Amino acid sequence: MTSLRAFTCDDLFRLGGAALDAVLLNCGPQYGIPFYLQYLAHWPEYFIVAEAPGGELMGYIMGKAEGSVAREEWHGHVTALSVAPEFRRLGLAAKLMELLEEISEKKGGFFVDLFVRVSNQVAVNMYKQLGYSVYRTVLEYYSASNGEPDEDAYDMRKALSRDTEKKSIIPLPHPVRPEDIE
Amino acid sequence: MAARGHVQDPNDRRLRPIYDYLDNGNNKMAIQQADKLLKKHKDLHCAKVLKAIGLQRTGKQDEAYALAQEVAALEPTDDNSLQALTILYREMHRPELVTKLYEAAVKKVPNSEEYHSHLFMAYARVGEYKKMQQAGMALYKIVPKNPYYFWSVMSLIMQSISAQDENLSKTMFLPLAERMVEKMVKEDKIEAEAEVELYYMILERLEKYQEALDVVRGKLGEKLTSELQSRENKCMAMYKKLCRWPECNALSRRLLLKNSDDWQFYITYFDSVFQLIDESWTPPLEEEHSLEGEVHYSIEQAVKFIEERITEESKSTRPLRGPYLAKLELIRRLRCRGCNDEYKLGDPEELMFQYFKKFGDKPCCFTDLKVFVDLLPSSQYTKFISQLLEVIPLSSTTESEIALPADIKALQQHLCVVQLSRLLGIYHAMDKKQKLTVVRELMLRYHHGLEFGKTCLKTELQFSDYYCLLAVHLLLDLWLEEGEEMAVWQCLTLLEEGLSHSPSNAQFKLLLIRIYCRLGAFEPVAELYSSLDAKHIQHDTIGYLLTRYAESLGHYAAASQSCNFALRFFHSNQKDTSEYIIQAYKYGAFEKIPEFIAFRNRLNSSLHFAQVRTERMLLDLLLEANISSSLEESIKSMSLSPEEDDIPWKDLRDNRDLTVLFNWDPKDRDISEEHRKLSLEEETLWLRIRSLTLRLVSGLPTLSHSIQPKNSEKTAENGVSSKIDTIRSLLQQLEAAVDSGKKFLEQKIQYPVLGPPPTRMAGFFSNGSCQCQTSLFYLVSDIYELDTNGLEVQERIGNSFKSLIERLTDLFNKCKGDLIEVRDGTLKTQPNLLENLVFFVETISITQWVSSYCDGVLRPFKSNLQKKKKKKKETNVAMPPVFTHFLDYVTELQTLTSNVIDHIKGLEIILTALKLEELSLKDTLLLQVRTSIIRDDTEFWNGELGCDVCDSICCLICLQ
Repeated sequence: MTSLRAFTCDDLFRLGGAALDAVLLNCGPQYGIPFYLQYLAHWPEYFIVAEAPGGELMGYIMGKAEGSVAREEWHGHVTALSVAPEFRRLGLAAKLMELLEEISEKKGGFFVDLFVRVSNQVAVNMYKQLGYSVYRTVLEYYSASNGEPDEDAYDMRKALSRDTEKKSIIPLPHPVRPEDIE
Repeated sequence: MAARGHVQDPNDRRLRPIYDYLDNGNNKMAIQQADKLLKKHKDLHCAKVLKAIGLQRTGKQDEAYALAQEVAALEPTDDNSLQALTILYREMHRPELVTKLYEAAVKKVPNSEEYHSHLFMAYARVGEYKKMQQAGMALYKIVPKNPYYFWSVMSLIMQSISAQDENLSKTMFLPLAERMVEKMVKEDKIEAEAEVELYYMILERLEKYQEALDVVRGKLGEKLTSELQSRENKCMAMYKKLCRWPECNALSRRLLLKNSDDWQFYITYFDSVFQLIDESWTPPLEEEHSLEGEVHYSIEQAVKFIEERITEESKSTRPLRGPYLAKLELIRRLRCRGCNDEYKLGDPEELMFQYFKKFGDKPCCFTDLKVFVDLLPSSQYTKFISQLLEVIPLSSTTESEIALPADIKALQQHLCVVQLSRLLGIYHAMDKKQKLTVVRELMLRYHHGLEFGKTCLKTELQFSDYYCLLAVHLLLDLWLEEGEEMAVWQCLTLLEEGLSHSPSNAQFKLLLIRIYCRLGAFEPVAELYSSLDAKHIQHDTIGYLLTRYAESLGHYAAASQSCNFALRFFHSNQKDTSEYIIQAYKYGAFEKIPEFIAFRNRLNSSLHFAQVRTERMLLDLLLEANISSSLEESIKSMSLSPEEDDIPWKDLRDNRDLTVLFNWDPKDRDISEEHRKLSLEEETLWLRIRSLTLRLVSGLPTLSHSIQPKNSEKTAENGVSSKIDTIRSLLQQLEAAVDSGKKFLEQKIQYPVLGPPPTRMAGFFSNGSCQCQTSLFYLVSDIYELDTNGLEVQERIGNSFKSLIERLTDLFNKCKGDLIEVRDGTLKTQPNLLENLVFFVETISITQWVSSYCDGVLRPFKSNLQKKKKKKKETNVAMPPVFTHFLDYVTELQTLTSNVIDHIKGLEIILTALKLEELSLKDTLLLQVRTSIIRDDTEFWNGELGCDVCDSICCLICLQ
C-alpha cells in the first residue's frame, strides 16, 4: 500500500528521517541539495517518491535519460534508489524500478542501466531478479573514505523493447576505467 | 579536440596558461602571468579580468573589484571577458552586476542570440521577472524559437507569484500569459510538452479549471507523456477543484483496477463515493455515467468493489496490502457515518488479525495497523494482543524461560505485537514490577535475536534492534513517570550495548543524544551526532537536537561548531537554488521554478536558521569580546546594528523534524499538532528575547561614542538621542517579550519526552538571569541621564548597583551544588546547575560591558566636576555619592568573580575525583573554556577598569 507521486522540494525536508537509516541500494557520490535540485530541474519525471498510508516516506527513485540516440545509447539511468528499512521486503524497489523502466520505454530508450558496488550482493541479486545483467565492471568507481581501498562497480543493464536484438546488454569482455565511461 | 579547419584565436592561446593556473588553484601564478601578458598586450581585457579572479581568490576583493569595473566600463563584447566577468561577479556574490554587463553587450551587438540569452539568465539569477519577460521576447524576435517565447510567458507567471497585489496578478499578469499562450495555440505553434504544462499552470492559477481540463483532455494533452499518468493526475486535480465527483470516482476506480495498491486513489474513491451518496446522485439514463466511465455511487457498490479487489489480490504473485487496508478504511468511514456492520464487511478486530497473519512478518505491518487501531474497542486490547501472540510460531527451549522465535519471520511478527502492545497502552498500565519484568524479557529477546543477524554488515541494522529500543522506552517511563533513578542509567547501558551490535542504528544514537542531554552530559553527544553523518537539509531538520544543548551545557566550542555547520548550509542554499532555477528554464521544467523559489524561502525563513544566526553572534560576543573595545570591534565585524532586525517573525517556518525519534506511544501520549504549535510559539518567544538581547548589547558601543558631545553640549541631540531611544525602545520590547514568555510558561506545557525539547526560557526566568540582564539595560538607560537629571537618578543608579550585586550573588548561589548527587545508592545529575552557570557567565559578561559603559560615562562626568571645583576652589564639597557606589559595586563584583573561579576550580577537583568514564559530565576542556572566560573577566577587572577606578579613587582622595 503505497502512494506513488512526483518528488517535490518539500520532500527534501523529510529525507532526514528515512534517509538516516536508509541504505542506498546503489549510489554514486554523497548527495547535496544541488544534486537533488539538478535532477528536479532536468528530469523531474524520473524522480518518484513512495508514501505510506500513515504519511511516512517509504522510499524514492531518482534517475535520468541520457546518451546518444544515433549510437543507440539513449537510455534511462538509475541514479539512486532508496527504501527505508521499515518498508523493505514489500517489493517497493521493484515497483519503483518498473516505473523508471516504463518512463524510459516511453522516451524511446534502448536500455536502462545502473551502477552498484560489487560488494553489495543483496542489491546485485535483486537487480538480477528484475532482469538486469552485468554489462561491464567499472574499476575503482566508488572512491572510498577512511583509508579503505576504492571499490569497483558493476554497470548493470536491462534491454528495453526498442533494442529488439538486445545488443545493448552484451557483456564487455574487459573492465573499464571510470574515465572511459560516458 | 578542436575541429579541423577551426582557426584558433591567438588570444585564446595567450590566455590559456592563466586559465590553467586558475583551474589548478595557483592564483599567484595566474596573477603574474596576467601581468606579464598585459605588459605586451595592454588591450587584452580578459587578462585583466582573469587577474581580478586571481586577486579575488587571494582575498584582495577591493583590488579585484576595481580591476573588474575598469573592464566593465569598457562594455566588453568578447566572449572571454564576458564569461570571466560572470564568474568573477558570481564569486563576489554580485550577480546583479552580470545583468549590467550583458545589458551593455546586447546594446552593442543587438542580434546576438547568445548574449540575449545570457542576459535572460542573469535576470533569472536575481529574480528580475519583468526584465526577464522583455528579454525573452527580445530573444524570440531575433530567433523565433518556442522556448524563448515561453521563457517570457513563465516570467509573467513569476511576476504574478511575486506580486504583492493578488488582484494585479489575477487581472493582469496571468491573463496576459494566457493570451500569449492562446496566440501560439491558435497559430498551431505549440511544440513541446513543457509548453502544455505551462498552459495548464496558467489556467490552474487563474482558477479556470474547466478550461484547464479541456486542455489536458484535448489534443494538446496528448503531449503530456513524460510523467507517469500525467494526464490522469492533472484531470483528477481539476475534477476535484470542480467537485466533479462522478469523474473523480470513475477515474480513481479505473486507476485502482490498474494498480490496486495505490493508496491515494482509494482515498479519492471513497471521498467521491460518499460525496455522491450525500448528493443522492443517480446516473443519467441514456448516456455514459461520466466522462471517465462507470461510477460507483452507493455503499453496496463500494463494498463490492473492495471485496473484488481482495479476491483479485489473492491471485496476484506478490501480496498487496492495499485492498486489505482499503477495507479497514471503508469500515472506518462507515463507522464515522454511524454504520456499524450493516454491510457485512466483518469485524475490524478479526480483519486486523487476518492482516497480521498475512503481513505480520513485514516490518511495516505495525505502521499499517497503527492507522486503524482506533477501530478496536479498548476492552478488547488484551484479547487482541494474545490472539496475535497465539499464531506466532515461538518455541520453548530448555535454556530459556520464554518461548523464542525460530526464524526472522517469527521474530518480525513478535516484534510487531510488542510494538502494538505499547501503542495500545498495555505497558503503560503496568506497575513498576511488571514493567521491569517486560524489560528483562525484551532484552532476552533482543540478545536472542542477534543470532539471526550475525552476517549483517556494519551498515545494516540488527533484526532485533527494536526490542532493545522498546525496552529503553519502558525504562524511560520508569525514570520519568515513577522517579526510578536507576532506570536512566540502565537506558544508557542498553543503548550503548545496542549500538555496539548495530553501529549504524540512528535511533540508538538519537535516543542516546536525547538522554545524555537531559542528564546534562554533553561530552558524548557531539561524537554521536557526528556519527549520524547529518547532511545538508538535516542541519535544518534535526540540528536542533545539538544546538539546543551544546551551549546551555557549556560546550562553547561544540556550540559554535554546530551553528557554523548549519549556517554554512543555509548560506550556500541561496546560491545553489538560483543555479537550478536557471536550469529549470533551460530544460522547460517550469513547474519546478515556483517550487524552487518556495524551497529557498522555506529555508531562508527557517526558525532554526534564525536561531543559529542569533545564538552564534551572542556566542561570539561572549567568547571573543571581553573588553569593551573588542566588543565594539566584534559588533562592527559582525555588522550588527541595534536598529536592524533580520528575522522574518511573521513567516518563520518550523522545519524541525520532531518525529525523528521513533516512538510507539498511544495517541494521547504522542506528539500532537498542538505540541508542535506550542513548541513553535515557545521557540519564537525565546528567539525574540535572545534577538533583543543581542541587539541591546550591540547598541552599547554606539552609545559610548555619544558621551563626549553629550557632556560638553546638550544641544547635540539629534543623532545622539536617537541611539538611546533605540536602546530604550528595544528594552521595552524585551520587557514585553519577557512578559509574553512568562505568560506562555504559566500554561506549564509538558511536551512528550521524545518530542520537542523545551527552550531555555524557563531556566532564564527562574534563575534570575532575566532580571539581572534587564536591570543591566535599565542601568544603561539611567546612567545616560546622569548629568541631566541630577540627584534623583544618582540615587536610582546607586540602588541599581546594590541590587545588581545581590541578584548576581543570588544567581551564583543557584550554580552551587553537586552536579552528581548520590542518594540511597543511586546517582542523580543536576544539569540545571550547569545551565545556571552558563547563564551566569553570560550575565556577568553583559555586566562587564554595561559597567564599562558606566565607567565611560562616570569618568568624564567626574573630571568635569573636578574642573568646576578647581575653578570655584571649593575643595571641601563632597563629590556625588554615585562614584562611591560604583566603586563599591566594582569591588564586590571582583569578589564575586573570584568566588566563581574558586567554585569552578572546586568542581574540577570533584570531577577529577569522580572520574566517571561513562557519565563524562563535564570534560576538562569545557572547564578550561569556562575558567578561561572567567579568568579573562578577572584580568579585565584587575586590569583596565580596575585601574581606572583606582585612579579615580586617587583623584578623589587628593581632591579631598
